[in-house]
Amino acid sequence: MNRTQCEIILKEKFGFEKFYDEQWQTIDMLFQGKRVLLIEKTGFGKSLCFQFPATQFKGITIIFSPLIALMRDQVNALNKKGISAKFINSEQSPEQNLQVMQDAIDGKIKILYIAPERQNNDKWIEATQNMQISMVVIDEAHTISVWGHDFRPAFRRIINLVKLLPNELPVLATTATATKRVQKDIEKQISGDVITIRGNLLRDNFHLFVIETKSEDEKFLWLAENIKSIPGTGLLYSGTRVNTETYSKWFDFNNINSTYYHAGLDGEKRKEIENGLMNNKWKCIISTNALGMGIDKPNIRFIIHTQIPQSPIHYYQEIGRAGRDGKPTYIILFYNSKEDKKGIAEDYKLPKSFIEGGRPSIKKYNQTIDALKEEPLNITGLMRETNLLRTPIRVIIADLIEQEIIKEVKFGGSKNYEYQFNAPELDAKKFDELRKFKLDDLNSMIDYIYTKEPRMKFLCEYLGDEFNNKKENCDNTTYKKRHVNPKNETIEKLKMFRNQNYPILDVAPKTSKKINKDMRIAIKKINLTKYEIYKNNFLLTEINSIEDYESNKNLQIIPKLSLEELIEKHLQNKSNIIDGIASSYYGVSNVGASLHSCKYENGGDFPKFLLDKTIKAFKKQFANLHFDLLVYVPSTISGDLVKNFAIQISSKLKIPISHKLIKTHKTEPQKIFNNSLLKRENVSDVFEYAEREEIMNKNILLIDDIFDSGATIKEIGKLFTDLGAQLIAPLVIAKTVGGDIKSGK
Amino acid sequence: MENEQKEFAYWMALSHLKKMRTVRKNEIIVKIHDANTNITDFFNSDIIDWKTKYSLQENEIELLKNVKNEISSYSFLVENLLNQGYDIIPINSSEYPITMKENLKMKYSPPLIYVKGNKQILKETSIAIVGSRNATNISLEFTNNIAKKASEDYKVVVSGFAKGVDRQGLDSAIKFKGQSIIVLPQGITTFNSRKYHKQIINGDVLVLSTFHPKAPWSVQFAMARNPIIYGLAKDIFVAESSNKGGTWSGVKDGLRKGRKIFVRAPEDSEKNANNILIQKGAIPVDMDGNEIQDYSKKVNTKYQIPENIQQHLFEPSE
Repeated sequence: MNRTQCEIILKEKFGFEKFYDEQWQTIDMLFQGKRVLLIEKTGFGKSLCFQFPATQFKGITIIFSPLIALMRDQVNALNKKGISAKFINSEQSPEQNLQVMQDAIDGKIKILYIAPERQNNDKWIEATQNMQISMVVIDEAHTISVWGHDFRPAFRRIINLVKLLPNELPVLATTATATKRVQKDIEKQISGDVITIRGNLLRDNFHLFVIETKSEDEKFLWLAENIKSIPGTGLLYSGTRVNTETYSKWFDFNNINSTYYHAGLDGEKRKEIENGLMNNKWKCIISTNALGMGIDKPNIRFIIHTQIPQSPIHYYQEIGRAGRDGKPTYIILFYNSKEDKKGIAEDYKLPKSFIEGGRPSIKKYNQTIDALKEEPLNITGLMRETNLLRTPIRVIIADLIEQEIIKEVKFGGSKNYEYQFNAPELDAKKFDELRKFKLDDLNSMIDYIYTKEPRMKFLCEYLGDEFNNKKENCDNTTYKKRHVNPKNETIEKLKMFRNQNYPILDVAPKTSKKINKDMRIAIKKINLTKYEIYKNNFLLTEINSIEDYESNKNLQIIPKLSLEELIEKHLQNKSNIIDGIASSYYGVSNVGASLHSCKYENGGDFPKFLLDKTIKAFKKQFANLHFDLLVYVPSTISGDLVKNFAIQISSKLKIPISHKLIKTHKTEPQKIFNNSLLKRENVSDVFEYAEREEIMNKNILLIDDIFDSGATIKEIGKLFTDLGAQLIAPLVIAKTVGGDIKSGK
Repeated sequence: MENEQKEFAYWMALSHLKKMRTVRKNEIIVKIHDANTNITDFFNSDIIDWKTKYSLQENEIELLKNVKNEISSYSFLVENLLNQGYDIIPINSSEYPITMKENLKMKYSPPLIYVKGNKQILKETSIAIVGSRNATNISLEFTNNIAKKASEDYKVVVSGFAKGVDRQGLDSAIKFKGQSIIVLPQGITTFNSRKYHKQIINGDVLVLSTFHPKAPWSVQFAMARNPIIYGLAKDIFVAESSNKGGTWSGVKDGLRKGRKIFVRAPEDSEKNANNILIQKGAIPVDMDGNEIQDYSKKVNTKYQIPENIQQHLFEPSE
C-alpha cells in the first residue's frame, strides 16, 4: 500500500487526515518487514506508528510495555475506534488473562499489550505457540539498555527474544528518551539491520524554573504560598513514600486540595487516583515518580520536583508527561543546596546514596551464589538461607542473571533460581563502571541546576539532540528567577504542622495482595466450619466449607489450587488490631537519638519530652476511644524502659496497666533480622497472657518504644484477638523508616 | 553464536513437524548442507526451489508452508528455553553426539536434541546399562559393577532414568564420581532436575531429551527413548531382560541393527530372557562385564528355556 491509500484508511479508522512524514517513514519500513528504532518526544504520536500497521497485518501484533496505565489507556482508546485490542497484565485475574490469550489464539485480537515479565509465564509461552504473530513492538525501549535511565531486567529477555525472531518479522522499538549512547546500545541489542528515526525532542511550551533553597522547610513554605497561583492541576514528585504523605498533609493543612500516591498503595486505590488525575480532582497529586508515566493526559499543567532526579534524562522523562497539549506548562525543580560539614549539598546526598548504595556488597552476592550452589531456591528460600532483605536479593538476582551466573528455571510451575554449570565468576568491575556512569549522570543534573544556558537547550543537547531553536523558555532567559521569601505566618504555620504530624502504624489486617488484585474478597472464619466472605467490607455470603466455596459460581475467582492456602492466610491475618500511631519518625529528629542513648548506652529512662509527645499522638489518634486496659511489650534487652514508660502513660491517661503480657521463651532482638520473614518467625507464638477474662471484650492500648517491621505488634494483636479482645490499638514512641535503626546503631 | 541461535526456531519447526518421518527430515538437512546454505534460507526458498533443489513432494510443501507461519511462535519458545539454561543442539552442530549419528544413521538420528548441563559429556566414550524396572538384586549388583568400572575408565553412563537398572546405573555412576547422561522420556522442561543440581553444576550429569520441550511423560515417549539410549552408547550392557517390554525389544532392535550388546550371563536359577538374547547373538559377560568365551556350549548343555518363553522363539520375527 502507498501513503495515499493508507491515509484513506487512517481517516476512516483513526480519524486523522495525514501521517507526519516520520510516522509514514516508520510505517512504510514496517510494511517492508524491517526493524525500526523510533525516538520521538512524548505527544508525537509514536503509538500510531505501530497501531496503524497492526490493523493492516493478517495476524496479531504483540506490544511489550512496562506501563500498565498506558496499556489500559491505549486499549480503551483503540476499542472505542472499533479496533480489537486487549492487554495481559497483573491487574486482571488469571482467568481474564487466559481468556485474552485464547482470544489471541482464535484470531480475535489485532493488538495485544503485555508486560515483559510475562515472557516467563508458561501459559503465555504455550499460547504464543498457537498465535499468528505479525509484528513485535518494544515500547519504552530505553529500558532495554543498561545505559538507559531505568533498565528493567525483564526487558533483557525481550532483547533476547527479538534476536531470535525471524529476520522478516517487523519489529519496532520506540522511546521518548534516548541519549546517543542508549540509541547505539538499543541498535546493537536488537541487531539485524535497524533503521533509526530520530525526531527533535524540544518541548517549547515548558516554562522551566529551578528554585534553590537552604532547607527542606523552604520547599514547604514556597509551595504553601505559591502553588495556588500556578494555573491548572499537576504533579509534585517527592523522593520517598513518607515524603508524599507528609507533603499531602501539609497541603491539607493549607487547604490545598491534594492527595498522595506511591507504589505502596493497593491497586484499587492507585486506579482511583489515576482516574482522579484524569478528572482534575485535585490541584496537585504528590507522588513518587511511579505516577504519570504512560498516562495519556494532555493537560498536566505543572510538574514540581522536591528532589533532583538521578540524571537529566530521568528529569526529561519525568517532566515529559506534562503539557502534551502544547499549552504553557510550569516545570519547577527544587534544590536544597545547604552544605553539611563535609561540604556536600543536602539534596545531592540522597541520589548519591542511591547510586553508591544501589548495589549490595560483594559479600552478599557471594552469599547468594553459595546458597544457590547448594540448591535451586526461590526468593523466600534465599531470604531464609542468607538473612538478606527482599530488595537486595532482587537486585542481586537480576545482576547474577545478567552475568549468566544463574538462571530462572521453572520446576513444576514454581520459580527457582538455579546456579549454572560453567557459570562465570562474578564480575564486580561491571558494577563500578555502571556506578561511575551514574555518578557522572548525577553530576550533570547538578550542572542543570547551575547552568546559565537556556535550560531546554541543556536538556536537548544532553539527549543528543541538535538544538537550533532560538526559543527561550526558562528562568535563565525570559522568566524571572524564583526565590523563597516566606511570610512569618507561613513559617509559624509550618512549625505548628511539624508538631502535629504523627506517623501512622499500618497494622490493621488488610486482605493479602493477591486477593486484593484478584477480587478484593476477605475471608474470615467465624467458627470451626463456617467462613464469611467479604467484598469491599460488605458481607457477601457465608459458606460452610471449601467445597461450598468452590461450587459457588459467584465466588469462583481464585484458582482452586491456592484456595486453601489463601483461606489459611486470611485466617492467620485475622486480627482485631487497628492502625496505631507513633509520636515521631525514628531518624528525623532528636527522638531517635534519645531513644538510642537510653536503650543502648544506658542513658536511663526515656526523657519527659518523649512522654509528652507520645501523649499528644495518642490524643490525636485515639481521643474518641475508651480503653479498658494498657499493656506494654515485654522487652528483649532494654530492661524496664518500656515498662516504666508505660506506667507513666497509664497514670497520665488514667488507663489501668497490666504487667501480665509475658514472653514464653527468649527471642533474639528483632533488629538482628534483616527481613520480615525471619522477624515474623522470631516472634511467632512467643507471647502469652494468662488471664483471659481481663482481655475478653476489652479495648486494649498496646505500648512499645520502637516500631520497625510491626511483626511484634501484629503478633500480640493476634494473641489478644484470640483471647477475645474487642480492639487493640498500638501506641509507640517512634517508627523507623527503611531500616534506619541499623544505621542508628 | 547469535546466528546459530536465530536458526533454532527453524530447527524446531522442522524437527517437530508432524506427518514427516525422521529420515525425510534428515535428507532435507543433508541437502541444505550440500547446497552450502542454511535452514533459514531453506525455509525462505520459493516453492520452485523446494521442488527442484530439495525434491520435495506436494504434500511436503504444504506441510512446510504451514509450519513457516509458526516460526515466530517458535522463537518465543526458544527464548523461554535458553533463558532457563537449556541448550538446543541441531544435528549439524559440532556439539551433536557423533556416537548417535554413527549408531542411528540418517534413518533414526533425531534432528534436534535438548540438553541441560555439561555438553562435553556428549563427546566422551559412553556405555548404557539397560534392564528391567523390577530388577533382581543380582542385576542391580551387576549394574553397579559395570557403572563403577565405566566411571573408573572415564566412560559416561547413559541412563534412561527408569526405575530399577536405569536408576541404579545413574546412582552408581554418581557414587563413583563418574559422568552420566539422563535420557528423558518427556520434554526437557517438564523434568525437575533439582535432585541432580550438584552433579549438573559440577559437570557430571547431562540431561537430554529429543521430544518437544513442553511434552509431558508418556508411554509412547518412554518407548521412543530406548533407541536414543542405544544411540548414545558405544557399548550396551544388559543386566536383565524379560521376554517382552522395553529392554527386550530394545536389545532385539539393537541386534538387528548389528550392534554389539553385552548381556549378563544369568545363574541357573534365574528366570529371565538373558540367555535367549545371548542365543540371538548378544555377547555373554560375567558379573564384572568380562566376555565369557565358551558360553554357547554351556547354554546348549545346561540351560533349559522355560515354556512361556519358548513359544516366543517360534513367533515370526518382525
